[in-house]
This record gives sequence, C-alpha cells and structure tokens, in this order.
Amino acid sequence: MKRILTILFITFSVPFFAQITVDEILNKYFENSGGKENWENLNGVKFTGKANVGMEVPFETVQTKDGLTYTKINLQGKDIMQNVFDGTKLWSTNFMTQTPEEATAEQTQNFIKNDKQGFPSPFINYDSKGFKVEYVGEETKEGTACYKVKLTQNPIMIDGVETPSIQFYYFDKDNFMPIMSEIEIPAGPMKGQLALTSMSDYQEFGGLFFPMSLSMQGAALTFDKIEINPTIDSTILTMPAQ
Amino acid sequence: MRTFSLLFLAFSFVFSFAQDNELKGDELFGSLSARHIGPALMSGRITDIETHPTNDKIIYAGTAGGGVWSSANGGATFNPIFDKHIQSIGVVKIDPVKPDEIIWVGTGETWTRNSVSVGNGIYKSTDGGRNWKNMGLENSEHISSIVINPKNNNEVWMGVVGALWGDSDERGIYKTLDGGLTWEKVFYIDNKTGCTELFSDPNDSNTMYATFWEFRRTAWSFNSGGNNSGIYKSTDAGKTWQKIHKGLPLGKLGRIALAIAPSDSNRLYAVLETEDPKQNGMWRSDDAGANWQHLNNDFELTVRPFYFSRIVVDPKNKDIVAKAGLNGSLSRDAGKTFRNMGYMHSDIHDMAFNINNSSMMIVGTDGGIFRTWDDVKTMEMVHSVPVSQFYHVSLDDAEPYNVYGGLQDNGSWWGPSSSIGGIEARDWNRVGQGDGFRVLKHKTKSIIYTEMQGAENVWRIDLKNNRIRTIQPLLEKNDPKFRFNWNAAMSISKNKPDRIYIGSQFLHKSEDMGETWTKISTDLTTNNPLKTTQENPGGLSKDNSGAENHCTIFTVAESDLDDKVIWVGTDDGLVQLTKDGGKTWQNVTPQNPELPKNTWTYHIEASTLDKGTAYAVFDGHTKNDMKPYIFKTNDFGTTWVSIATADIKSFVRNIQEDFVNPNLLFAGAEDGLYITINGGKNWSKFENDMPAVAVHYIDLHPKTNDLVMGTHGRGVIIIDDISPLREIKPELLEKEFQFLTTKPFTMKEKDGFGTYAGDETHFVGDNPSSDARIVYYMKKRHTFGKMTAEIQDMNGNKVRELNVSKSKGINIIDWNFYGKPPKVAEGKTLNYSGFASPRVSAGKYKVVINKGKDVYELPIEVQYDNNGIPLADRKDQEKLTKILFDKVQDLAYLVYKVDTDLAFLENINKIKSDKKVTKLITELNNLKNTLVVTTGDNYVGTSEPQLREKLSDLYGKVSGNFEKPSAAEILNLESLEQRFSDAENKYNTMVDKQIKSLKTKHAELSKSDYLIFEDFLKK
Repeated sequence: MKRILTILFITFSVPFFAQITVDEILNKYFENSGGKENWENLNGVKFTGKANVGMEVPFETVQTKDGLTYTKINLQGKDIMQNVFDGTKLWSTNFMTQTPEEATAEQTQNFIKNDKQGFPSPFINYDSKGFKVEYVGEETKEGTACYKVKLTQNPIMIDGVETPSIQFYYFDKDNFMPIMSEIEIPAGPMKGQLALTSMSDYQEFGGLFFPMSLSMQGAALTFDKIEINPTIDSTILTMPAQ
Repeated sequence: MRTFSLLFLAFSFVFSFAQDNELKGDELFGSLSARHIGPALMSGRITDIETHPTNDKIIYAGTAGGGVWSSANGGATFNPIFDKHIQSIGVVKIDPVKPDEIIWVGTGETWTRNSVSVGNGIYKSTDGGRNWKNMGLENSEHISSIVINPKNNNEVWMGVVGALWGDSDERGIYKTLDGGLTWEKVFYIDNKTGCTELFSDPNDSNTMYATFWEFRRTAWSFNSGGNNSGIYKSTDAGKTWQKIHKGLPLGKLGRIALAIAPSDSNRLYAVLETEDPKQNGMWRSDDAGANWQHLNNDFELTVRPFYFSRIVVDPKNKDIVAKAGLNGSLSRDAGKTFRNMGYMHSDIHDMAFNINNSSMMIVGTDGGIFRTWDDVKTMEMVHSVPVSQFYHVSLDDAEPYNVYGGLQDNGSWWGPSSSIGGIEARDWNRVGQGDGFRVLKHKTKSIIYTEMQGAENVWRIDLKNNRIRTIQPLLEKNDPKFRFNWNAAMSISKNKPDRIYIGSQFLHKSEDMGETWTKISTDLTTNNPLKTTQENPGGLSKDNSGAENHCTIFTVAESDLDDKVIWVGTDDGLVQLTKDGGKTWQNVTPQNPELPKNTWTYHIEASTLDKGTAYAVFDGHTKNDMKPYIFKTNDFGTTWVSIATADIKSFVRNIQEDFVNPNLLFAGAEDGLYITINGGKNWSKFENDMPAVAVHYIDLHPKTNDLVMGTHGRGVIIIDDISPLREIKPELLEKEFQFLTTKPFTMKEKDGFGTYAGDETHFVGDNPSSDARIVYYMKKRHTFGKMTAEIQDMNGNKVRELNVSKSKGINIIDWNFYGKPPKVAEGKTLNYSGFASPRVSAGKYKVVINKGKDVYELPIEVQYDNNGIPLADRKDQEKLTKILFDKVQDLAYLVYKVDTDLAFLENINKIKSDKKVTKLITELNNLKNTLVVTTGDNYVGTSEPQLREKLSDLYGKVSGNFEKPSAAEILNLESLEQRFSDAENKYNTMVDKQIKSLKTKHAELSKSDYLIFEDFLKK
C-alpha cells in the first residue's frame, strides 16, 4: 500500500502541460515499479501460476539474465516442457509424441536476438541492446488514458526474410505502469495484425512490481507466486536424448 | 490556514479532473465491443491498388468506404490497416526510398458516383501502416494522387480533386518539402477544376504530368467537362506547367486518364472525354506529350469517364496497356485494339501489374479484389476483404435472427447473425440484383421484399416456393410519371403484416403484399422543375443511370403504436405527417434556423415509446454542407429540438432510439457510430472494434437488444446486447463497482463441425457469445492488487474460475456454463476426453468477484434451451455424467495409489533386491497396464486404450450430449464398472495380502503414504 501511495504522489508531480518524452515515461515506470537499479540487479525470476484456457493448467516459467528459460506446464499430471533455452539450444516437447524437438535455427537466433536481451524488461538500457523506443501519443485502453510507446527490437528472420520486430506498450497515465501491449504477428495469414495482452493485478515481490494477471484473447495467465533470483536445476534445461 | 488554502489551490486542477466524472467514449464503453459479420463474398468497391517496388508479395488496396487493406502474401489474404481514420480512400502510395516504412494515404475516393464518401486529408505512416498521422488538407475531400521524389522523400506532391458538391479553393497540386508538415499550393486552375492524375516520369523526376477535370455534382445533376479540363506537363519539377494538347480535340474536355510507360519515357497514353463522341477514347503520344494521335473509341474506353479513368502500362512492355472500365480491357498493340478482361465483377477501377511477371495482375472492382496469373484472362476473387457497402439493413425475429440488406452494385442479401463455426460466405443468400437497398422480411410469412435502383424492380420473393414476382407500383390512368429515388423508400407495417409502402413523389400503399396499390398522398415533395431533370445528367458523356432522380420520398415510417400515424421525409428537405392513414397530410418540416432549407431528409425514426415522438435526420452533404442535423419532436412535429452536438464530427444519416430508455440514442454518421445516454446532450463515438466507417442504417433487435449497423464499406457490424447502456446514469458513474442487471441465461444447445480446411483465406464473420454475459461497471481500471471472478453454487462451492475484465467503464465477462474437468489418471499419454468439463444444471448460481478486500456477489439464473428435450432426459444425462465424472476421478486415485505403492516397492528393492517384491512389482505393473496406457504417444503411435481411456471416452461422450443417454452408453458403463470393480478388488487384495505387511516392515520407506482422496484432488 505504501508503494501505491508513493506512485500516486509521483503522479501528481508530473507537469500537466509539458509534452512528455519516452524516457520520462520509462523512468517513471521504473521508479514506480521498484527502481531501475533493482531491475538491473535482477538475475532471474520464477513465476508459478495457472493458465485459464477453458480449463486451469498449472505452470511454472523461469527467465534469467543469462537468457536461460523454460516453461513447464502440467497436463493430467504430466510435465510438458516448452520454450526451453539452455544457452545454445531452444527446444520444446512435442504434444503428440511427448518427445523433445529442437526449434529451427531461425527461431533460436530470433530468441537470442530479442527475448534473451529483453530480460527483465526490454526497456532497461534499450539503446545498448540495439532496441529503439518512441513515444507515439496518447490513447485510451480499457477505459484508461495511456501513453503509447513503440518498441522496435532487433529485426528477426522469418523464412529467410528479415522482418521488423515491433511491439506497442500502453502506460497508464496515472501511474506509468504498462497495462497493455500489442505485439505484431510476424507470419501467417494474420501477419501484421496485433496480438493484445492486458496486464493487471500488479503486486510487489522483492521490491519489484510484477503484473500477476495477464490476459490475451480469452485466455488468462495468473501467477500465484514469484521467486526472485531462483536457483535453477540446470539439468531441466538440457534437451533429453530421444 | 492560509498555507493550507494555497496548498489546496495548488491541487485544484487535479480536483477539477477528479470531480468531473462524466464518462465519454472509450471510458464509457469499456469492453463492450462490435463484431463484424461481413460478408466478403461480394466484397465492395476498390478504388486504388498499390504495389511494393521490390517485394511483389506486398500489396495495398484503397477502398471506397472500407479503408486501406494490406497483403503480405501476394494477395492471398488482406488485413485492414486504417481503421481509426476516415474509410474513403483516393490513393495509397508507398515511399520509394523507405517502402517498408513510409506509406501515404490520400483520403476521399475520386470515382465520384452519387454515393461517394468524403475524405479528410492526407495521412502518413512512418512505420509500415501501423500508425497514421493526418498531415493536412482536411477540407480537400478527394485526393487523387501522391508523388514522392525518389531522391528526396521529404519532397512530396499531391493531386487534389477537391470538393464534389460545391466550389472549393482546396484543389490542384500541392507540394511539401518537409515530409508533409507544411504544404504549398503550386498549381491551381479554379474552384471548380481539380487534379485527377499526377505522376512523374519514372526515369526523370523533374518531368511531371497532371490531368485536370472540371466537374460538379448536385443531388439532382452531374456535370463532367469544361474548358478548364486538360493535360499538363512540367519539366522543372512542378514549378511551371504547360498544357500539352497538340493534336487533341478543341473545346470542352471531361475526365482524362493519363499514364506513362515505365519502360519508355516518350510513351504516354491518355483516355479522353470530349464534345465529339468520335474523338473520345484512347490517345497516344510517342514524344512525351508533344503530339497525340487518336487510336480507339471502343465502348470500354469511353464508358462512364467519371468512374473509370484509369490506365496502367506494363512496367516492362510499353505496348501493353490496361484500361479500367465496365469489364476492363487490355491492349497488346500499343492501344490500337483492346480485348475485355476475363470474367469478374464489373466496374473495374484500378489494376496493378506484378513487378516480376506481367502476366500476374491485381484488379480492383466494385465487387472486391481479383487476381490473375494469365494476362487477365482468368480472374480469381480475393475472399478476405469484407468491404461491402450496405445502404440499409433490417432484421427478422428468427432465432438466431437474420440480417437483410442491399449493397452498392452488389444486389440484395440476407444471412444469419450467427452460424455454427462462424458466419461464412455460404450462409448468405442473394435476393436481388443491380444496386440493392431496402430488403424487408414479412412479419409472419416466408416473404421478402427487395428492390433495385430507382425501384426499377421491386421483388416479392416467396422463399418457401422459390418464386419471385415484381410488384412495384405502375402508372394508372392520368398518373404523372413516378419519380423514385435511386434508393427508393420502402417500408412495411408492424401493425398490418401484409401492408407495404413505397415512395415515389407520392406515397403508395398496398394492403395485399404489392398486388394492388393505392396512392395515399398527393405529391409530398417540392416538385421543383429545376431539380427534376434527371434524364440529362453527365455533362459531356450522358449518364442517365437514375442516380440523380430528385424530389422524391426517401424515408417512410409508420408508427408502431398507431398505424394511422405515418411520417414521410423527402430528399428535397420536407417532413410530412398524416395522423389519419393518409387522408390528410401536414408539412411539419422543422423551421429551426440552424437547419438550412431543403436539406435532404435522410431518415425519420418514429418512436416506439410515444406516438407523438419522432426523430428526423437531415443530410446536407449534397449541398456541400457536412454538418450533422438531428431533430426530435414530442408533439407530432409541431416543434422540433436539435439534439446534434459538436461531438459529432460529420454528417449523419440515421438514428435509432432505444426501445426502453428514450435517452439512449444511436446515430449513424459518415465517420462512424455515435451514442448518447442523455437524449443528445452530448454524444460519444463508439470505437471498440468499430472503424470510422459510414453508418448508413441502424436497427435494434427487440429481443436480443443487438444494435445492427449497415455500413457503407465494412459490411454489417453488430454490437451485441446494448442493454447495459440503458443503466449508465449519473448515479452509476459515482459507484466504484456495480453489477448491471442480468436476465436468466439460456444454455444454447447447438452442435456442428464449423469451417473446413481451405477456408483460411476466406473471411468468416464472428458469432455472438452464447455464454452467460456478466456485466459490471467500474469507476476505475483495476491495476494493483488481486482481482478474481468465479461462479459458485448457492452454497458457496466453486464451480468455475472466470477470466475477469478490469476496464474502467462497462466490463463484460463470459461464462460458458461449464464447471471444471475431472482429475484424470496419469498415464504415458494425454487423455483428450478427460479435458471435457461437465455443464451445470439449470438453476441459481452466483458470480463472486474479489477485488482487493472487497467482495461483490451477483445471483444469476441459468435455464435450459427450450428445444423440446424433456427435463427427465436432461436429469438422466446429468446423473450419468456425474457418475462417470466420479468414476474417472476414482480411477485417477486408484492409479495414484498404485504409482505410490510401486515407488515404495522400488525403494525396497533399491536397498536390497527381493524376489517377492519384484514379483509384486510385476503384478502391480500388470494391473496398472490394464488401468491406463503406459506406452505409445498421443497420435498414431497410440497404444491400445485401457480403462482410463474407455471410461474417459464414455464420460466425454455423455457429458457432451444434451439428451438422455443411450442404452448402448448405459450398457457400456456397466461393463466398465465391472472392469473397474475387478481391478479395484485385485488391487485391494494385493494391498491386504502383501503391501500392508511390507509397509509395516519397511515403515521408514512408507512415510509419505498416499494422500486422502480430497487432498489428492487438490494436488
């Protein structure tokens, strides 16, 4: 609660008439969500929760500063690994065969270029990562006046063609927390259309504010627990031999 | 105290924000959103095609009323990219320097038919079409061309056609040197003559060409041609311009098409409209416009110049030239002879050759986008572009209800508001030809009335017997010629089902579905002879399509509350009323000074709440007046009050009053939908999945409360169940959280297989949600702290967790009437049937929302579908589902215990191998192998199904039904129960005879014995 009051107070300190810059928006976000330094010092996060996709599916997902990551979902008692990156290989378990399959070289490279670098937030030191951010303007999302920020990450390769990697973030004008993101679908008949993710239920863990609820097109992810700088059993990341 | 006063004063600006809790726009509508049902099978008018200079997979299409669409796959599918802005498009142009980033759009279609919409300037995107910014010339109305200097892309020229319906100085050629921040008018002729074509020589950007056109429309006339039309050339990058008419006919010229061959800068083609029909058609210059020779005046080259003045030259072969037209035509001999393009929708407006293979083309027509791979011989339609242009919509009372309407050049149609798997092209039925307008369903019979332009035909269609009859009023002895509007008024009576009205200058009434007609009025129009010269429109080329018929009745509304009360509105600005069924008429046109005389009465909405109340909408755009006019009377037209405000940014064509709350009104404007919740004191634009498209007609369904819009460019758009808006009142806005009223929810019972592979490139209209729709209002978006929602039974037991909406304003969350799936035994593979959830029984439940420390509850009622399934049968189905659900979980528990015991036994053996234990492990594994599959995968490597699979399959089958379980299912259950019981007995025997004693002996290894059943379920 103390943190929320601080956020409200900071809100009033923003000049009403000045044209805001993208760095002002991001700095306020970092300030309100735990401090940029604390975000920079974050080495890893483990989220445990459930997905509501017509049924509740428990999962855990881990991301680290080194780019190591996995998502483990549990269906009918079976653990199924998805989007696992051990530092070199990106792999997932095939739902049909229940066996691991490596991602294409293109997908792996795309992951290394952007997702790995995006931890814990693509906005932290964005320029040193080669990312570009721009303030687009004000827009109302979920009934709430927001600042719209465009994030251009490194171009990715789709079927051998270099393709821009673009996302939009909407920061609540009242508290500077991102409440929605739009990610451009890079391939397929929906190429160019935007996939929307709504973020809410921000709560403090280890001095940092995380959205505990994400919803996207009728599906929702809810986190029950967040572990800061977790210990990772590296064997879980290794792609099992078939 | 003074110090504190000053402190408060410092925050006064903040307080003034905080206290003003009048929600508008997005803040009001929250998650209430629109759904699009198309259709795309007839699509709509495409105005401009633009292709990428180096990537032939990227194509843009500008449309007449549906915005800009882009394709990244060579035209297989298109997606809209311009929804927030005015949807009438003149030109799309890709920057040659940064083709993946900078795109320009000039708004305002330039094919200036009577129903053409109006643009609001030029837009630029610097991120490949993701975001757009208006770069000026908001009053230009119609922009034809954009030229970008390939050496300096901040230097851009724009050709402005300008206003169609009046004089305007905002015409000619404009130029910017700063990427569009400022524009300078660099060439202008007069306030009647606009620039219809502007391009530079692809080989020399200093050389530019332009065409100018003198033209004008009124509601009753159209003129193409004048002494100022012409072809101009500049050789100094647009600084100075000279007419290049050597060899061209003297006298007035009309609209001119002009193109240069990219492969030869000397080769120009022009299509002219002249005073001498023999001189019309194709002209060619082989010396960069210095001299011209006439080649051809075939029909396709001369037809309707205002509509088809576009020529495109093959990028590699200067002798191949394509011409827009009724069918489109192609010459392979430098314009000497032409052949028609292959069969596709008529009225071709633009074409684009593929940059790598000229046999491939993209063509834009009145009926969508077509592709060809064989030199426009065979045409394939693109099926993903629902830019259909409805003039009108109406609804019936079927379940689901159907939508009826007519379209620009695409006939008349009806289709369902929902269909299994989504609303596909095959769901729509064609019920008219030509241009379609009003399509009306008889209240009780399988009869539809439809019409084509000018009521040339009004059809009565007997759907049951597939019989069609024309029924329009015909002249009787001593009748003057009837004047029907292009979009002739036609309406039916809710009071007398067989009654139908049609308006010419008279109001015609039939009481027998069009067999006999009676004129129940005198001429209700101004009958102004100056405005009834419709046989002579067109200017240089006669264009008597009937589109300029004027002094006609345009709207007719019989009161639902009294069939003697009939309102009539005319296109020359009158409102007429009879209260005695047509015996006497009274001119009740609003005399309010803000309404200019003779402003087109576009729509009259007779209130369903009070027979003296009506709304009249006036559209002045054909008099060059773009203001909104909406008036309301409560006293049968004696006095009128204006309820349009400056919130509405364009002219308005339609209004719909809510059937319950008279302060809730919906206005269809040229730039979208506006809603007021306070009777018109202020209006909010509805933009949730609603493009800025022209809304020509609105209807409200009395049962579902769905607001259905006929848009002129994006098909039919529906906002499902607007009833939450009835409850938005000032007192509600003060509440932090408030559930809105719900009616009992019906669990719809429809099965089907939906769409099929191959449909992925086809547009499929969205279905409405068939879930329970829980609506609440929140004063502020929920961002911090936990917020959850769940369904509970009336005893507080959780039935299902719901995904919760957290917007400011109206929130909608859906519940599909299903609970949680059973816990299924863990096996080697997944058991898909086990993912099925059981549907709840009809009855009372409650929605519980936890928001921080606050808890909000709403009791709701759920009903079965009223489809004849007996209640006893439903109860049998629910009972068997529950038995199977429990059995699946019991089996899961049994397998869990077996697995726990196996782990225990393996641990014993790890310490010291024991033959008896090994034998027991084998026996236990053998038992497990009969309970659940322990090998194989989830696809063709699957193993022989065991008890889990068989039990779950039966559970999935029975729980997915709505009817009584079959005898086969019951017998199947008995056999599985026997198998389960045998397995359980076998296991219990093993436990009693061997495992228990081992557990006692190895107590240190059996510390983590199995959980009790309830805890296992939570695991």
